[in-house]
Amino acid sequence: MTDDLPPNPALLPAGLRDLLPPEAEIEAASVEAIMATFAAHGYQRVKPPLLEFEETLLSGPGGAVAEDTFRLLDPDSRRMMALRSDTTPQVARIASTRLAKAPRPLRLSYAGQCLRVRGTQLAPERQVAQAGIELIGPDNPLADAEIILVGAEALSATGLTRLSFDLTLPRLVPTLLAGLGLPAEQERALVHALDRKDTAAVRAHGGKLAAMLVELLLAAGPAEKALGVLERTAFPDAAKEQIDRLAEIVAVVRARAPALKLTVDPIEFRGFRYHTGVSLTVYAPGRHEELGRGGRYLCSNVEPATGLTLFPDAILRAAPRLAPRPRVYVPLGADPEAVRALRAQGYATVAALEPVADAAAEAERLDCDHILTPTGLCRVKGE
Amino acid sequence: MTAPYPLQAFAPERSAPLILALPKGRILAECGELLERAGIRPAPDYADEASRRLRFPTDHAELDVIRVRSFDVATFVAFGAAQLGICGADVLMEFDYSEIYAPLDLGIGHCRLSVAEKKETAGSDDPNRWSQVRVATKYPNIARRYYAARGIQAEVVTLNGSMELAPSLGLARVIVDLVATGNTLKANGLVETAVIAPITSRLIVNRTALKTEPELIGAWIARFRAALGETG
Repeated sequence: MTDDLPPNPALLPAGLRDLLPPEAEIEAASVEAIMATFAAHGYQRVKPPLLEFEETLLSGPGGAVAEDTFRLLDPDSRRMMALRSDTTPQVARIASTRLAKAPRPLRLSYAGQCLRVRGTQLAPERQVAQAGIELIGPDNPLADAEIILVGAEALSATGLTRLSFDLTLPRLVPTLLAGLGLPAEQERALVHALDRKDTAAVRAHGGKLAAMLVELLLAAGPAEKALGVLERTAFPDAAKEQIDRLAEIVAVVRARAPALKLTVDPIEFRGFRYHTGVSLTVYAPGRHEELGRGGRYLCSNVEPATGLTLFPDAILRAAPRLAPRPRVYVPLGADPEAVRALRAQGYATVAALEPVADAAAEAERLDCDHILTPTGLCRVKGE
Repeated sequence: MTAPYPLQAFAPERSAPLILALPKGRILAECGELLERAGIRPAPDYADEASRRLRFPTDHAELDVIRVRSFDVATFVAFGAAQLGICGADVLMEFDYSEIYAPLDLGIGHCRLSVAEKKETAGSDDPNRWSQVRVATKYPNIARRYYAARGIQAEVVTLNGSMELAPSLGLARVIVDLVATGNTLKANGLVETAVIAPITSRLIVNRTALKTEPELIGAWIARFRAALGETG
């Protein structure tokens, strides 16, 4: 067939989009607010490159996201390069190489874009902005709690205050299943059933742990209630340790932020898949997308670390609309001093480039709310 | 500069009612009794398929029911348009939506998902020798997975109904479909050659809704659990 229509120049590949005014500016402002909160808590910014050699980017924690990663051949070195689909593995690499001798605890932050081969059902975007923190070195409940508290504060700085933090134990299910010794195929079926909270299938495949696993599935909910169920359940020691850690984290967060909504889902083990300890997902109630994800992992498979990655695109959709900067139309011949003063007060000054007959109409056409007259500012639209 | 920490504002609030999606057709009739036992009484015309309404209030101001096609129940719940739903395990197997949790087996809508073919061809050769097979079904993903696990490529012809006609008219060698009594198969000269899975209906919930409103969603799950006579 040769009668296909020529491609529309506005069409972008699936999962990619243009951000226009005023959203692009609002997004930048929220990222700035998030990064300012991180900086205020002593997190220092790093900026890893977009591309790295495949074998370094995808070793360590990065291996878990290998299948989501775009790759291309470097015509120069003829080595395969990979485009980051997640920033945490890069920060982990920096911490264990260039900053290996930097004093611990090492607090690092970053903001940037990531690309992935395909989106998910819920989030079909393939280019995803990330803004996050990594706390490298200590392995204790205070570090885990700090990530949650700083994350909540950064989100509140973007105007998002109705938040819900879901805490999970990605190692709990593997720990419990290791003791069960199920045939591989049955274990796969059980893991899938647990992931989908399908109690009927968990009963069918759960062997002697079936009843306990069903109770744990149904225990997911408000942190105190879920912890109550967990404390009443008889666990092997390796599992008990994970639960004690979770309880300590909840206690620390509760003491510092009593009104923060915390839920616990002991069976959930989704996430970035490199997590080795308590992990968290941030939601805004009523919104069907994740605002952030994080948790404990091992930096280059040895050094303990924890972190949180926020998703500014999702935050932009969930947060209350910030008022864009007010715009003032500045006709030709205005006093440059007055115009500078306006900018200092936070106005955007839109300079005329040629004389116009009706300055008010021109201001309105250029989406300005005000016009600068020799006697001062004058509103051109609205009230 | 750090913004003050407005802690009171963290408490979530919900203004719109929760939505429970119910499947049209066979299962809807069986749902009625279960809803009654769970103490949910939708407006009476919800079970009347002639009614043009699609959304019905219940005796709980904070819960509405909607009536959609059984496959669409899963889609409404996966995308969070409905927070709760009732649908067959066949639909969940077909879509395998990661955003759906299926916390309760409701024990209604008993049937099985099976492979069937013409009486004349069944057993006429050894399926282990097949490389490919043409399958007529409304479950393309299940059919592909089932045959792939047996080393056979399924060439799927997707139909929305009347699968039973496909083998006799030469559209496909086998069909993959729900079988309740087997009478439709028999009437069309087909025999069941394998059961892929036994099927019952499940209570399903949206993952994010359960994560963010666990008290509210959990209370509805507990109601259904109590209606089934399970301990809470």
